[in-house]
Amino acid sequence: MQEILSVQNLKKQFKLSYKQQRLQRTPQKMLTAVDGLSFTAYKGEIFGLLGPNGAGKTTTLRMLATLITPDSGDAIIDGCSVVRQPDEVRSRIGFLTGELKLEDFFTPDYLFNFFSDLYGVPENVRAVRKRELFSRFGIDRFAEVKLANLSTGMKQKVSLVISVVNDPDFIIFDEPTNGLDVLTAKTVTDFLLELKSQGKTIILSTHIFSLVEKICDRVGIIIDGKLAALGTVSEITGEKNLEDVFFDIYAARAGGTL
Amino acid sequence: MKNKMRGILAIIKKEFARFFLDRRMLLNTLIVPGLLIYVVYTLMGTIVSDIAGTGDSYTAAVRNMSAYIAPAFEQSEVFEITSATESDEYYTGQVRNGEIDIYVVFPDDFDDIVGEVIEGSPSSVTIPNVEIYFNSSEDSSSTAYSAFVATLDVFEGSISNVFDINAGEADYDLSTTSPTSYILSAIVPMVLLVLLFSGCMAVAPESIAGEKERGTFATMLVTPVRRSHIAVGKIVSLSCISLLSGISSFLGLILSLPNLMQGVFDVVDLSVFSAGHYLMILGVMLATVLLLVAIISCISALAKSVKEANSYIGPLNIIVIVVGLLSSFVGSSASPLLYLIPLYNSAMLVTDVMALTVTPLNFVITLVSNIVYACIFVFLLTRMFNSEKIMFNK
Repeated sequence: MQEILSVQNLKKQFKLSYKQQRLQRTPQKMLTAVDGLSFTAYKGEIFGLLGPNGAGKTTTLRMLATLITPDSGDAIIDGCSVVRQPDEVRSRIGFLTGELKLEDFFTPDYLFNFFSDLYGVPENVRAVRKRELFSRFGIDRFAEVKLANLSTGMKQKVSLVISVVNDPDFIIFDEPTNGLDVLTAKTVTDFLLELKSQGKTIILSTHIFSLVEKICDRVGIIIDGKLAALGTVSEITGEKNLEDVFFDIYAARAGGTL
Repeated sequence: MKNKMRGILAIIKKEFARFFLDRRMLLNTLIVPGLLIYVVYTLMGTIVSDIAGTGDSYTAAVRNMSAYIAPAFEQSEVFEITSATESDEYYTGQVRNGEIDIYVVFPDDFDDIVGEVIEGSPSSVTIPNVEIYFNSSEDSSSTAYSAFVATLDVFEGSISNVFDINAGEADYDLSTTSPTSYILSAIVPMVLLVLLFSGCMAVAPESIAGEKERGTFATMLVTPVRRSHIAVGKIVSLSCISLLSGISSFLGLILSLPNLMQGVFDVVDLSVFSAGHYLMILGVMLATVLLLVAIISCISALAKSVKEANSYIGPLNIIVIVVGLLSSFVGSSASPLLYLIPLYNSAMLVTDVMALTVTPLNFVITLVSNIVYACIFVFLLTRMFNSEKIMFNK
């Protein structure tokens, strides 16, 4: 198996403001979001990062997407370092997160062209790709409608299409089905499997056990910024189901209680 | 090179599309400011003109009009004079009711006495008294009274002339500054600076802090476009838009000045400026807008929302007004070093252009220094875009 992602002892701390210290009832001025994370992902697999809110999943994915810089450690994506070669990494990846938004003022068609420009997708390739993706998601019906007038599901489809505008081999999805209705969530899940069948590598974060069991080849369970378990779903669960195993691991980490 | 420009051009295109396809923004930024300035200034000019009374005519009823004075009123279009044939009470009543502006009564022997004075042999020491009834609670009546008294004073002076002042044809006003230049150099720099600032304020916080607030900025940051290219693309496009807004306001201002000055100065003549002067103004406007957009963008990048950005930029607004006022009071400077002071140099240079005293050296210093300052702020903005603390602070 060809290794496409190598995460090496990744660490990230955030400074807590006085207000945050009071809210979290901690005297500590620094919060360790990711604490020495290491794992690898292979070409053509879907790797899931599973963990509760605040576990460090989003911070990890943001470091992989070069939106934030690790305090120490590194991640190599397709041979490029997120610390030393962030521009190269950005040109090789697709990134989708609920926190990244598209401008409501523009139409899906305009945004596709705009992001194609940013990624330097040639005109002829862009036209074919736009036709295929818009048709695949039914966006061609509302391609000229401003995003402000679209439903959440429609917007998510547009975001999904925009995240792969450059046809990347490595795609990062942060909570891809979060807040979506069942139909749109299925569209997203089907698309992830389709990308996998095309040989793309997908890293996704989620706290939905069924999604991990359904589509992930391997999974890493993150708790308090540390990797608590790593392997295929069957390797981690054995005879049990993923949900029970996760709560067992979490309880053990939390000192026997949830 | 083409690859490098790709990101910048894409950002510029997007900002232009955001602006030019949004009719409301287009109207509010490009058309309304210029139109509003034109309408407001024209209205102000009309009101001032009305108060000054210029161009109006007054009605006067005159009993026993003097043959010596009548020609002065016949030549003037200011007074519409009717000969009084009714009783005094009738005309004073008319003045009181505002039906006529003044009622003037010359003594029966006015012309005889004046004739003797002119010939130099006055037979009596009686000074004739001209009675002018007016209504001080009516503006037009008060003004008519003053105008009539002034005409009589002039006539009185002419019949007992002892000496003249500047009576010849010579040009006694030795000023080399045209009245238009004098007026415009006192008004335009401050107003222009404030208008340019308003134009920048209308677009820059929305484009930087607004995108941060909506989460759309981060979407751009995960693309391979360099942060410096995003900064340059934003600054260039926002500057162009702000410049268009500035030009609209400037046109409104310049075109409305003759209307604003009507009745106060009848001398605003824009033909004293050459095409070169207007190009210089355009150059200064461009450099100033570049600098202002770059500063406002940096401040906006620090904010989490447009509202917060506007509150941060408030003090800069005060600085711009103070700098504009300072240039109006202090005027231009002889030292080229002062043209290195950002914003103040722009105000001074506009003052120079308006006063027709601009020098190429000062123009170049102002232009280059402002562009250099703008580049420094673009560099700072790039650093900010690279800072996760600034771009992802919550």
